[in-house]
Amino acid sequence: MAASTHPHTEARRRTYADITALLGAFCFFLSALEYMVPKPLPFMRLGIANLPILLAADLLPLPWYLALALVKVFGMSVISGSLFSYVALFSLAGTLTAALAMRLARKAFGRLISAVGVSILGAVLSNAVQMAIARLIVFGDAVRLVAPPFLAAGLATGALLGVFAEAFAGKSAWYARATRELHG
Amino acid sequence: MRLRPLDIVIALAAAGAIAFAAVSAYGPGSGPVNAVLKGRGGEWIYPLSADRDVRVAGPLGDTVVEIRGKSVRIVASPCPNKTCIAAGAIERPGQWLACLPNQVFVSIEGRRADGGVDASAY
Repeated sequence: MAASTHPHTEARRRTYADITALLGAFCFFLSALEYMVPKPLPFMRLGIANLPILLAADLLPLPWYLALALVKVFGMSVISGSLFSYVALFSLAGTLTAALAMRLARKAFGRLISAVGVSILGAVLSNAVQMAIARLIVFGDAVRLVAPPFLAAGLATGALLGVFAEAFAGKSAWYARATRELHG
Repeated sequence: MRLRPLDIVIALAAAGAIAFAAVSAYGPGSGPVNAVLKGRGGEWIYPLSADRDVRVAGPLGDTVVEIRGKSVRIVASPCPNKTCIAAGAIERPGQWLACLPNQVFVSIEGRRADGGVDASAY
């Protein structure tokens, strides 16, 4: 006997899928933009592909949210050509750390924190985890030389991304509608 | 847009951690200034005073490091994006070059030439 699904639940599931797909497509697009920007130093990234994840921290349930983070890792790795290299491990660890930290901060601190703080937290923790992995498996103690500019770049780009996300969430009719649909 | 209390706390905590990491990494060194090359097979230290080209083996092939005129740069690399080559030359202690795909790291370590006190008068 086939299990029946409540129409309301099915509609909700479809909305989650739609939002995840749309934000996932944005991850791909922003990854491509990010790839086109010349990097002054190895490791340095703007992190703009994290914007959809930052916006989704308030919108999606955890499984869909993690699926979006994995889509971002996949997109970034495909576009940068690192999917089948160990470099993808850095993207995976950094993105999952940032996604979980941002989600936790949003849920735990509510209105005490804005997208700016959430974004800085995600960016700096993501970079710190990538430095830890680089220390463990590639460059050893020399990573101490890389860490300060890399973390400082995370602080700066995280703050800028947070300011943009805050402005976007305040002005976007799509974001307001999605929030209404999902959270009543 | 209005910042919330935890935004400022998180930004200050991150800035503090970065400052600590910077002081730990770039504090006064010791000994002569050398180029330190790390690759898959080990670590090599060369004085900046002698010009030479060094091939460092990595998983993708050889990265060629040029030490010339007391500066160091990567002149050839089998990695896809060549960010390590585009980074240019380094010449001061604490500066570094890295090729993540080929697992090669180049840094300059030792005492800063312009650091320390040469003389004092009362």
